[in-house]
Amino acid sequence: MRPTGIWFSSYAAEARILETRRARAWLGLLSAGLVCLPLLTGPWLLGEMTNLFITMIAVCGLYVTVGMAGQINIAQSAFVGVGAFTAAKLSGLGAPIWAVIPAAALITGAVSVLFALPAARVKGFYLALTTLAAQVMFPIVILALPMSWLGGLVGLPVSPPSLFGIGLGTPSGLYFLGLAFAVLAVWTTYNLPRSRVGRAFRAVHDNDSVAGVMGIPVTRIKIAAFFAGALYAGVAGAILAYLLQFVTVSSFTLFASVWYLGMLIVGGLHSPLGPVLGVIFVTLVQEGLHSAGNAILQSGSGLGGGEVFAASSVVLGLCILAALIFEPRGLAHLWTQTMTAFRLWPFPRN
Amino acid sequence: MLTLANVDAVYGGVIQVLRSANLEVRDGQMVALLGANGAGKTTTLKAISGLLHADHGSVTVGRIVLDGQDITHADPSDIVKAGVVQVLEGRKVLEHLTVHQNLMVGAHLRRDRAAVKSDLERVCDYFPALPELLNRTAGYLSGGEMQMVLIGRAIMARPRLLILDEPSMGLAPILTQQLFDTIARIKKEEGLTVLMVEQNARAAIERCDYGYIMERGRIVLHGSRQSLEGNQDVQEFYLGMGAGDERVSYRDIKHYRRRKRWLG
Repeated sequence: MRPTGIWFSSYAAEARILETRRARAWLGLLSAGLVCLPLLTGPWLLGEMTNLFITMIAVCGLYVTVGMAGQINIAQSAFVGVGAFTAAKLSGLGAPIWAVIPAAALITGAVSVLFALPAARVKGFYLALTTLAAQVMFPIVILALPMSWLGGLVGLPVSPPSLFGIGLGTPSGLYFLGLAFAVLAVWTTYNLPRSRVGRAFRAVHDNDSVAGVMGIPVTRIKIAAFFAGALYAGVAGAILAYLLQFVTVSSFTLFASVWYLGMLIVGGLHSPLGPVLGVIFVTLVQEGLHSAGNAILQSGSGLGGGEVFAASSVVLGLCILAALIFEPRGLAHLWTQTMTAFRLWPFPRN
Repeated sequence: MLTLANVDAVYGGVIQVLRSANLEVRDGQMVALLGANGAGKTTTLKAISGLLHADHGSVTVGRIVLDGQDITHADPSDIVKAGVVQVLEGRKVLEHLTVHQNLMVGAHLRRDRAAVKSDLERVCDYFPALPELLNRTAGYLSGGEMQMVLIGRAIMARPRLLILDEPSMGLAPILTQQLFDTIARIKKEEGLTVLMVEQNARAAIERCDYGYIMERGRIVLHGSRQSLEGNQDVQEFYLGMGAGDERVSYRDIKHYRRRKRWLG
């Protein structure tokens, strides 16, 4: 809800995502910064940023399935894998990037529907188990298929992408590819809840028998939620394939799926801002701990790599626990509260 | 318009709730379905809306026919498409959505945007308290406000037959009066047919054209408003009046129950 004192006189203004001129100015500044980043930094940061964008796309997809439609999904990493392998295979066959990414999205969507068909009929823990099955089956299926199809245990190489003769294989090229799709992903996640289908997703989340009596085909909507989430995963997978230039099953683990969920929960399940903030926060903490660990290892304190790695995992876990205890509704809620307090200053928020 | 013919409904394959229920709703009527708790009223409504599956129930015998079309085992969304919209019992708003989004969910099956918009304005006209609440999260509304949202949401689907399950549940008597007046107004202005389950027997009988009384899964009595009002059993057991129009002492209820004519 908006604090008192903010109102609009036209429907268009009311419906805008960025309500105030100040918000739009900040967004403009942020996008200018993101566009200029490749000029200012080296390939390491660009690679990290591209990774962050890819994760953000995947978690946006998870937000659609889990946050909006309430269908728990712990196979997002497998879906990203499906997208990556599709992209690797198609680009190996000589398909151009503008065909590879949509195809990867659609094929991942189709695979997710295969799992959603039984999953849409069960709820809660049972649904979690069904998607877990998808996650577990993914490497088994890839390894069982003939080597010539998807590379088996070895994996598949991916040739660097190019669009209209411009090579995108450079760090900055991949950075812009990731950025463009991350913007698209965030923009669609912001707009989806405002659409008819988005309302149906949220209605099914809140109460599926009510959704049923309002004429919403519940099973179909649940399957559609999986399909939509997997579209994002497919795009994320395709870009990841281009970034890594080599895909193997070992990149798409249950661990990664759980991390995606963790990022979404830390960010906030009830706002499209959740996946954005969650991914940024968790990645920052992860990277910070990573470099701190490296510094400790190199300082000659006598600690072994195993101990530092274990300690950094524990600290990461504690950070997430703290975030959840102090802000169970996620960073997105904290953000809204801060913004409200800022708008109302010097008056108290409540 | 709607006919239930010898409908049996069973939950979980073992618990039989409806036993050969027969019911007819004619075009433009307000039909009340009365009965004690556990008589099978809600089950009847759920059978009509196709919602029994959610509770592991099903219609085992009989047919439910809407305008000559068999809807006994149809999908809930197809039944809504056919024009039957139910307002569920209790305050089943979509609590994480705003009031406006709740109302728009009601219009899910409709593609005519302009008409949806004018319907939204009409709903706000029926319930003058709603415009103020449009941007509020529905889960934080009071009970009376939620009931308005629910009925408004049902109207947004442009039903031909509106099914209300205990609309007055948990509302203060004055609110109940207002709500029933609004329902009567909506029925008249939208040309609706209404089927209503209600515990508030007096208010329901006063306003209905035709009433059914259910007991233990069976329709035990039915008739027009006048015949129900004049029926001695209805007076005794639902309106709390003795034969001589004076109130019955509840101590004697057991004795009266044994005398129920329709069970004999």
